[in-house]
Amino acid sequence: MKYALFLGCLISAREPSYELYARKVLPHFDIELVDIPETTCCAPFSIQSLDYIGWLAIAARNLAIAEEIGLPVLAFCNDCYESLLMTSIILRDDPELKTKVNDVLSQVGKEYKGKTEVKHLLEVLHQDVGAKKIKDTIKRPLTELKVATQTGCHAVRPKMIHPTLAVSPKTLDELVKATGAETVDYDKKEVCCGGPLRGINDEISRNLARQKLKGMKKAGANCIVTVCPFCFIQLDLGQLEIKRFFGEEYNLPVFHFVELLGLATGLEIKDWKMRDHRIPLNPLYEKLRGG
Amino acid sequence: MSAVDPNFMHEVANTPRGEGVLTCIQCGRCTSSCPVTRFLDEHNPRRLMEMIILGFRSDVLHKLPWYCLSCFTCLDRCPQRGDVGEVVFAIRSLAAREGDIPHGVVEQAKNLLNTGRLIPTSEFMHRQRKALGLPETSTSTKDAETIMKMVGFDKMISKARTRRSELTE
Repeated sequence: MKYALFLGCLISAREPSYELYARKVLPHFDIELVDIPETTCCAPFSIQSLDYIGWLAIAARNLAIAEEIGLPVLAFCNDCYESLLMTSIILRDDPELKTKVNDVLSQVGKEYKGKTEVKHLLEVLHQDVGAKKIKDTIKRPLTELKVATQTGCHAVRPKMIHPTLAVSPKTLDELVKATGAETVDYDKKEVCCGGPLRGINDEISRNLARQKLKGMKKAGANCIVTVCPFCFIQLDLGQLEIKRFFGEEYNLPVFHFVELLGLATGLEIKDWKMRDHRIPLNPLYEKLRGG
Repeated sequence: MSAVDPNFMHEVANTPRGEGVLTCIQCGRCTSSCPVTRFLDEHNPRRLMEMIILGFRSDVLHKLPWYCLSCFTCLDRCPQRGDVGEVVFAIRSLAAREGDIPHGVVEQAKNLLNTGRLIPTSEFMHRQRKALGLPETSTSTKDAETIMKMVGFDKMISKARTRRSELTE
């Protein structure tokens, strides 16, 4: 399957490992990524909070670009996914509003006809690839890992905007298990990581991340796997903030799911200390290489 | 006690994403499912809806709207499609029109207006991306600016900026 890649701000600005390993590993599963030009931010919930038409216009402009090249959008970030999916549904169901949004878009020479499909990486991996194919493809089962998964809210909620309900909080666990790793159930598994209030209300944000980390540690996890770049920062960098504020150390390395998939499919992944990861992956990686 | 505005519920209901408030039956499922409530007494979604229904406009707009995570758990639990998680978008936009926007959100909106991205990719990150063999990111700063100016984002943000000190924490 071929998709218009909607990379989003956070991955391109802060998390190159997510992108790097997505680009390396997805072609192994026949997922082709087409870079789309001249995008903007998706307009996530903070922007949605300020102005309704402004949000829809910014999001619909991105949908219009994908529509021009005739491909469904693939989002790597839960917030991009939620904003673009919700916009596509609202404009599909309200032609009058679509006209209003297109009036704004005409000023930038764009029109959104309403055809773009929006998919999440998790959805694509689940529907186009599936756990069975992952299991059959992997070369290095990651049996040393006990994974606490963090799906994130906007991949699965609210139900009313997820047309197929193909993805549930269990989907990521199924895909992780297909790499040979074990997954753990933990307290507050389906609860928000607190990411949306980072920088807006840091105290709440920190408390939410902390309760998840507590649950993960208690359940015996030795690492975390995320599919959302906001959840990633919240649970990775968040561990250092929690150490400072609460004196608690969790030392749970956080993988982007595509990194895990890369490891399992036998990609040689160098320089684990680099870039995205604040909690070093090296000890776990060495263990995997030796194993 | 601040003044009560008997029309406030309808003002919220007539604001995009606010219509659910009319169907709220005050059952409290939203509050029992809210991950923020357990850390913060001030944030109680059922009570927020009650305050809207009863018309406590100033308290709702200027004290309460920015504790919600938009995790949408309440939307999946609400038996009435009252959707308090949607209603918060309506009350935030009403507050924003009065210049009341948290500092962090003003900064994000400024980034969108000036760079086309909420979190801009820095010069150094561009260089690192290149070294990693990642393609150049392609952003239309101009289109984002045009759209934001058309809907009045720029004025909203500059108005909010002057009141910044009252709005943080």
